[in-house]
Amino acid sequence: MLGRGLKRKLSDYEENMAGLSSAFDSSRSLPYPLKRQLVLNMCLTKLQTYKMLVEPNLHRSVLIANTVRQIQEEMRQESNQQPVNICPGIAPASHSYTGMESPGISLQLPSGISQQESHCCDLRSVEDPIENSLLIVSDDDMSSAISSILKDLDFVEDISPPTCLVPTGDDQPKFPENTGLKLEDDRQDLKGAECVFGSFEISNSTSYLKDLAIDDIFEDIDTSMYDSDFCCPPLMPPRSPSLAAEEPLKTFPSCNSSSANNIQICRTDLSELDHIMEILVGS
Amino acid sequence: SDKTVKLWKVSERDKRPEGYNLKDEDGRLRDPSMITVLRVPVLRPMDLMVEATPRRVFANAHTYHINSISVNSDYETYMSADDLRINLWNFEITNQSFNIVDIKPANMEELTEVITAAEFHPHQCNTFVYSSSKGTIRLCDMRTAALCDRHAKFFEEPEDPSNRSFFSEIISSISDVKFSHSGRYIMTRDYLTVKVWDLNMENRPIETYQVHDYLRSKLCSLYENDCIFDKFECVWNGSDSVIMTGSYNNFFRMFDRNTKRDVTLEASRENSKPRAILKPRKVCVGGKRRKDEISVDSLDFSKKILHTAWHPSENIIAVAATNNLYIFQDKVN
Repeated sequence: MLGRGLKRKLSDYEENMAGLSSAFDSSRSLPYPLKRQLVLNMCLTKLQTYKMLVEPNLHRSVLIANTVRQIQEEMRQESNQQPVNICPGIAPASHSYTGMESPGISLQLPSGISQQESHCCDLRSVEDPIENSLLIVSDDDMSSAISSILKDLDFVEDISPPTCLVPTGDDQPKFPENTGLKLEDDRQDLKGAECVFGSFEISNSTSYLKDLAIDDIFEDIDTSMYDSDFCCPPLMPPRSPSLAAEEPLKTFPSCNSSSANNIQICRTDLSELDHIMEILVGS
Repeated sequence: SDKTVKLWKVSERDKRPEGYNLKDEDGRLRDPSMITVLRVPVLRPMDLMVEATPRRVFANAHTYHINSISVNSDYETYMSADDLRINLWNFEITNQSFNIVDIKPANMEELTEVITAAEFHPHQCNTFVYSSSKGTIRLCDMRTAALCDRHAKFFEEPEDPSNRSFFSEIISSISDVKFSHSGRYIMTRDYLTVKVWDLNMENRPIETYQVHDYLRSKLCSLYENDCIFDKFECVWNGSDSVIMTGSYNNFFRMFDRNTKRDVTLEASRENSKPRAILKPRKVCVGGKRRKDEISVDSLDFSKKILHTAWHPSENIIAVAATNNLYIFQDKVN
């Protein structure tokens, strides 16, 4: 029974990863930020796995770490541009979102999906991450894959709202909380990426290991890991109720233990990245 | 092991001595007092036996996994390369080596590049090249300095912006570098291509061959299952006119540099009988699949041909496929 339990989890995870990777490869309409987040998650998972090996492969670790750096640099640059996007006027404009009046649209996604898609194609996807993420959530393949993988990998940064550019100013009046939320998630994503490595130093066994550990053997171990700052309680953002479609994504804990009532401006710490490299190469 | 170098003597034995005086044929000792006649042992034919005996073991001089060994044209020295260092050895001295390249940064956190392969020039015993995980090749001259930290030449192709992806750096990592027999060119293998470089032109290769470009749209899946890190070798034929490298599904590819023709062949027992002529294979990239073609999605990525060799003068090749070694030769009239 023990073996079966372990295997099931692993193969579920592998299946999900394989499913996500094929979705990445085959889908052209996957928004760039989501793809990027997927790759980032895969990189972090691999680095964790290598870390646990007796003889980590330096070549692979370096290649993956470079990919992580590249992605983080990109995200950093985008988040630096955000203040510029937020500031401009709040006057509503309708150019980009013709036909999409309110959050109510997102609830109608399943039925109006083809209409959504055509609109999405017109939009610069990076500016409409919420609609796109909702579109993806309502896509059966992606959502089930994402949910399972996130359940198995809840130590990894969640891939809820893509951490890309904030919607343009015309969106302001409709999604004010989401603007702030995205900023928060953005920073948390970056911080979370490094949190993952930080945890390696803190404890020898990570929650990843515990997730995969044979539960029956370690019955007496307190898995209140989930309460630690490594994996915190689910984020309860002040989202508008219309985003209920995002429910599954909401419940995944993020790596940052900060309270939800303040907007966390977690600056990506350059020295954290150095710290990661140090751990990776075991200097 | 991954960090020790051993020199082996590989020999064939097809005769053995018979007629010892003090031992009988089973090897049991004879009682000397029973021996009345002396005879001279003679060599008699026996079944051919190939034996490998370790002759030298070169002391631990590597902290990281060794990825290449290359014998110098002087036949007195050789070099061994690991992720961060290259050491020069003398065959006769097993407990000492010279470090000739060291790219380990003072602060390991700054490490962004590792050595992936190295080879001596076929004629100039002072020249060697080494490749990196960033797709670059450095040519060094040992006469300039004891520690070859400065390269004499630096080969790098500018990145093609239209092909940029998250995996661009990973697939640019060079898995093998080989000098041509003439010594005028070098060939490099990265994940999707084989490139030929002219030693006199550092800014781009003179030829690029697509090994399995149909994998370009599958990079995320190949990254997920770690296949993207597979290290394929590449080889020149004796006249430097044809190059060969391996792929997946037990396929290997040959490119004729003169005619620009290429062929895909398969090394598998199921699909070819001994002495039969290999049939060219084709991978179908989307659209209608013709009979005998294989679609990209049916490729077996666990069957990879990483190691290949070409006889230095004859048209005989050796191809390693998982647990089997295949040897092919030109059709004999």
